[in-house]
Order: sequence, then C-alpha cells, then structure tokens
Amino acid sequence: MATSQYDTIFQQIEVLLQEHAQLQVPIQDDTDLINDLGFDSLKLMEMLEDVEDIFDITYPLNDLANLHTVKDFVLQIQQITGGE
Amino acid sequence: MGLLDKLVTIATTRETLLPEGIDPFNVVIEEIYSSTEGQIDGQRVILAGTNNYLGLTFHPSCIEAARKTLLEEGTGTTGSRMANGTFSGHSALEKELALFYGCQSAIVFSTGFVTNLGAISSLAGPGDVIVLDADSHASIYDACRMSGAEMIRFRHNNMVDLEKKLRRLGEKSTNALIIVEGIYSMLGDCAPLAEIAALKKKYGAWLMVDEAHSMGVLGKHGRGLAEAVGVEQDVDFTVGTFSKSLGAVGGYCVSTHPELDLLRYTCRSYVFTASPSPSTISSVREALRVVSSQPQLRTKLWENVEQLYRGLEQSGFELGPDPSPIVAIRLPTKEKALFAWKAILEKGIYVNLVFPPAAPAGLFLLRCSISAAHTPEQISYILKTFAELKPMMTAAT
Repeated sequence: MATSQYDTIFQQIEVLLQEHAQLQVPIQDDTDLINDLGFDSLKLMEMLEDVEDIFDITYPLNDLANLHTVKDFVLQIQQITGGE
Repeated sequence: MGLLDKLVTIATTRETLLPEGIDPFNVVIEEIYSSTEGQIDGQRVILAGTNNYLGLTFHPSCIEAARKTLLEEGTGTTGSRMANGTFSGHSALEKELALFYGCQSAIVFSTGFVTNLGAISSLAGPGDVIVLDADSHASIYDACRMSGAEMIRFRHNNMVDLEKKLRRLGEKSTNALIIVEGIYSMLGDCAPLAEIAALKKKYGAWLMVDEAHSMGVLGKHGRGLAEAVGVEQDVDFTVGTFSKSLGAVGGYCVSTHPELDLLRYTCRSYVFTASPSPSTISSVREALRVVSSQPQLRTKLWENVEQLYRGLEQSGFELGPDPSPIVAIRLPTKEKALFAWKAILEKGIYVNLVFPPAAPAGLFLLRCSISAAHTPEQISYILKTFAELKPMMTAAT
C-alpha cells in the first residue's frame, strides 16, 4: 500500500521536476535536486508552489534542510499528505 | 574538499559577470557632500539609491544633537543593552518610540537586521508557526530559521494563498505569527494590510509588520502602512529601523503587549551585542521629532516620487507596481542590468543594482530610492539620463 502511494507521488513529482529543473537528467530516487537537476533557491521555491497546488498541502520551509534527493522529496510529501 | 573550495564558485561568477573597473556590489562612496550627492570612482554623482527617504542624514538639528552627545558621552557604550550599554538616551528613545506609536512597550536594538533576528526568534519558538510573505527581507527569513518555529511561506501579497495556509493550520493558527512588510524593499510595493489584518482576526493569529521602508513615509504622522490604512490596532508587533527615514543606524520593536519588555531577557541580539552609540541615539531622537513635526517632508517626498515614477513610466520603463520611494526598473537580463547600471553611473547617477536572489521572482533591477531632499532639477536630470540611455540598455547584450 505504502509503496503504491510512494509510486503515485513519485510520478507526479517526476513531471514537476522535469518541468522546473535546469538540467535534464533521468529522475530516479537518488537524483540530487541541486547537484543533478541544477535547482537553485529560486527555482526550488517556484517548484514548491506547484507542489503545494497539486497536492493541496503546505510545505514547511523547515523541511528544506532535509531535502536532497527525489526520494527525500517524495517521502516528505507522503508524510505531509498523511501517508506513511 | 577544503574549507574555502565553496568560494571558488563565487569567484568564478564574479569574474564572468562583473565588468572591469568598479564592482557594483562593493561601491565606495569616496566623499559625501549632502544627503543626495557624493563622489564615486572619482566622479561627483547624484545619490539615488540610499534609502535616505527624508534626507535627514544632514539635517542640522540631528547633526547638532549627535555632536553634543558625542562630546558629552563619548564615542560608544562598549557594552550590550543588558550590561552597561543602556544610557539614559536609549531609555528615553524607547519611551518616545512607544509614545509615537501609541504603544505600551518599545525596545531599541543595534540595527534593523538584529531587531528582526532577536524579536522574531524570541517571540516564536518550537510549537509555533510563522507565516511569512515570500518576498520578506533576509533578516526575517534568518530569524524564522533561528526561532525553531514551523516556517510557512505564502505567495507575495497573495491573500488567497495566505488564507489557504491559515485555514490549513486549524487550531494552530492561534499560535501563528504572520509577518509582512509595509513597503517591500526591492519593488517598493505595499502589503495589502487591511486584508491581512482581517485574516489575522478571522483566524486568531498574531501580526507583525516590518515598517522599515514605510516609517516616515506613509501615514499622516509617519508611523507607516498600518497607520495609513487604519489597522494599527490589529498589529501586535511593529519592527523598524533607524537607518532609512531616521537617517542613522539601529532598530526597534514596539508592541501593545506589555510582555514585549520580557524580550530584553531572551533576545540574543539584544543581550550579546553592543548597543548603539549615544550620539547615534541622540540623532535618532531628534529625527523622530522631525518626522513627527514636519509632515511637509512627506509631502515633498511624495511629490518627488510622483515626478520620478511617472517620468520613468512615460519613458516606457517597466517599473514596480506602485509609486513609492523605491522605484525599481526591471531589465530583462543580468547583462543588460549591469550595462545600464554602469552607464547610469558614468552619467553621474548612483542607483542600486539588484540580482536574484536579493531581487524577487528572478528579476534584474535598477533600484532607485528617492528622497525628500532631491531637488526637482536632480530628478529631471535622472529622468533625462534614463530616457537617453534606454535604447542602449535595450540593445546591450
């Protein structure tokens, strides 16, 4: 069940990341948002606004400190949306 | 990886982006002639990027007050407010600020930046929530991080987004501190404060307004945006600075809540830093009297704002959304903004060059700030120069 929810969020995030990333590389669990996708703080904020809209959530900026990889991001959104 | 390796990226960026000659981010004002003129790079220039909104840095009575105190009390306090750094002038200024705002409590800090660091990080903590506008000043972001509170950002001046974020908090909204600015420092636009105050009341939250750029500028008595839109009673905490309209350096927080006074024991930026020099405090006290007693300065400021904003608008520049003492000209690329900044300086006008992330929304800005002390002739020269250079700004790559 949890894996399925993870995959659903991953697919949505994958689309968003490809739309906002400065560098186009295949999106995988261990893809790093800054080093691999070229996100800077401004681009990250723009992408987070889209994430908040799509998932109807509030993303606390405190979580940015622990956001490095795509997997981190998906798990954070899963937690905010109430999943495990 | 060595300690300094991370700085290589900055060095590379500086080499590729900055022109030979003067560095726009390390400008030295070699001589200062008045609140609107100085010398930069060997040339006499009009200062149109200084935040000196009322031109009080050279006000005779402010200078005299500072001079007198300098002679009587020396050059510095050599201590923090909590220890030996509170002189009678510091206490008197706090009483005068409280009176000016009609508040019970006021605390004076050493700069506007550390006011925000101290006040915000002491008021909010773990278990609380801070809801801040996306375009908030760096000091507000840093303070929020220091506080340990949950930190939520709403889109700049977007009331739908703010309400959505407050609604999602549920019962936690009563522990939420909304933080906005009277006038935003980069684009010069105002917060929709009446709507924000209404949302604050609806959700039982708390409201802090940073009036750094609006104190002395807005409101019948110069108290800022909250006074101008008639919501002072809904603002829990007002923070501000002495380094703009008041022409000195330092900061303050005022509140209708008497508990503010307890922050003196918890604010690290109050307890652990040297207090403002006594002469600075005296010039600020005098400047506050000038702000209160000379509303004609605000009238003159807004006449100058209209002249500059409308003139640049007529020349076809893309500006910030509202006329204000901060007039931001948007340019399409970093290279064009840099070219324009240099060209304007060579013509004898200093303005601020602002790149992201200091500028919001990825904008490249020439940020002008206008003063009541600017003459119509100086503003006409600024307008003429910008109009002449506009085609070159567009053509430069």
